[in-house]
Amino acid sequence: MKTNKKKTSKISKRAAKKSNVNKKGTETSFPKGQSKPAPVRIFITGESPLVEQYADVCSEHGYDVYISWNEMPAQKPEFNNHGIKITNIIPANTSLVIELTNIDIFAKKKNLERFDSTLTMSTPIISSSVTVTATEQSLWLSGKHRLVGFAALPMLIQKPLVEIAPTVYSPKETLDVIKLFFRSIGKEIEIVQDRIGMVLPRILCRIINESAFAITEDIASPQDIDTALKLGVKFPLGPFELAEQIGLKQVYAVLSALHTDLQEERYRIAPLLKQLAMTRV
Amino acid sequence: MFKQIGIVGTGTIGTGIAQLAVLSKIDVQLYDVNDTLLRRSTVRINANLRKMVNLGKLTPEEVQASMERIRTRTSLPDLGHCDFIIESVIEDIRVKKDIFKHLDANTKSTAILASTTSSLSITSIGANTRNPERIAGVHFFYPIETSSLVEVVKGFKTNNETAERIIAFVNLIGKTPIVVKDTPGFIANRVSQPLYSESLRLLGENVANAEQIDRIVKIIGGFPAGPFESMDQMGIDATLAEMQSLFEQSYGEPRLRPHPILKQMVESGWLGKKTNKGFFSYDETNDKEL
Repeated sequence: MKTNKKKTSKISKRAAKKSNVNKKGTETSFPKGQSKPAPVRIFITGESPLVEQYADVCSEHGYDVYISWNEMPAQKPEFNNHGIKITNIIPANTSLVIELTNIDIFAKKKNLERFDSTLTMSTPIISSSVTVTATEQSLWLSGKHRLVGFAALPMLIQKPLVEIAPTVYSPKETLDVIKLFFRSIGKEIEIVQDRIGMVLPRILCRIINESAFAITEDIASPQDIDTALKLGVKFPLGPFELAEQIGLKQVYAVLSALHTDLQEERYRIAPLLKQLAMTRV
Repeated sequence: MFKQIGIVGTGTIGTGIAQLAVLSKIDVQLYDVNDTLLRRSTVRINANLRKMVNLGKLTPEEVQASMERIRTRTSLPDLGHCDFIIESVIEDIRVKKDIFKHLDANTKSTAILASTTSSLSITSIGANTRNPERIAGVHFFYPIETSSLVEVVKGFKTNNETAERIIAFVNLIGKTPIVVKDTPGFIANRVSQPLYSESLRLLGENVANAEQIDRIVKIIGGFPAGPFESMDQMGIDATLAEMQSLFEQSYGEPRLRPHPILKQMVESGWLGKKTNKGFFSYDETNDKEL
């Protein structure tokens, strides 16, 4: 595989400056107490509420954040941090883009193609890859090397670890930049294989699906199911509480993608879940 | 409310229920096949209650009063006066059906008979008894001391009065009841199954290794334990048995199919912590080897 050695991006320079990188280039630790460098520009696009959640986190950690959505959210979003700019135009000097579409793959492809034609070849793209693999997404780009997938679902942003899926085209340099970016917003990364559903989204959505079947079969009420899972087997949240936090449309999108990808009966979607996902706003 | 209950079986769950009942001032007729097992059970209860004295939760007098509420029995007909009898023996449908047949013949026709089964059909266990509307399931979770949930399982013919009386008992002993239908795995075990089965699939497909999956599930998912360390703790053999039971009782539902790796591990003697080798290796003190 040809390795693409690109100019080191602003993210890596900023993060390297922030980190304790010794003369050999080995990162020793992430330092505390250093003064913030000049804000680095990030563009985030995709679906609500993922866009708002990532915008808040990035802004909170000192990034200059620009956002847009595939579709404007029905309710005007409120941000915890000021200074987040809403724009449909990818601003000049964007150092990193984050694509957060799971449901509308057509819109995702359009976004990525726009990045491909607008951004410099050295600008990394971090794209949610729970419903379409990062490798497949890379094939939509002329600069295949710069896209890395990750597991993005509503509510996962608050956690200190994130699943990353490099593609077969991802050189070490791109991965290093992505790693430094996530560290700069307070997260460690876990590198997994580039598969639909990745690890946790696949597990959580299957649990929610099983609960939907249980409701259909009238085994217990949704509240009792949530209680049973929390008290009986120590789940942090019941499956219906999880579904509320993630969003049924997101859950349905992950399960659909799994069913299509793996072609197995075990990933058949509960009709009730499909119905609720289609009727939710 | 029941003034006197019978408990058949002095395993972990049976002993635990006996302890909870006597602490709630309910008399217990505790049955097992021999005095050795019964003595072991009462010694365990006594030791647990003594620990509670040391923690300031009970007085020595309360411990004595509690122990005096336990009567040990080696003959099933001795449970004849009980209004509520809980069966808690091994997870074998033939053994359970046999016990229920004997209980049915030797107890009041109005006595409620409940099984603590975690995976077998209550309808099946109670079939061919007189008045099957009084047969139900009362599924406690391990460890019984700290797990507050109890699934009250309604068999095909279980009536509401039976369920309500069991609910009242469960509330009295300080647990949280939920009523569920008699289906494979009831609720908690069935709906939680994908946590383990999908993790096994992810491992088998090399999406991530066991350590990574555990780390992701705990740190991102917020679960107290990863699926692989949980399976090692429960026992790979117990995990396989439960999954196999769910799969068979659902007549081969693909979503509930166990993963072949479990069978291979059991056949290889890799049963988890109890054999120092499961998905992880353990040293002599049962700590995970790095």
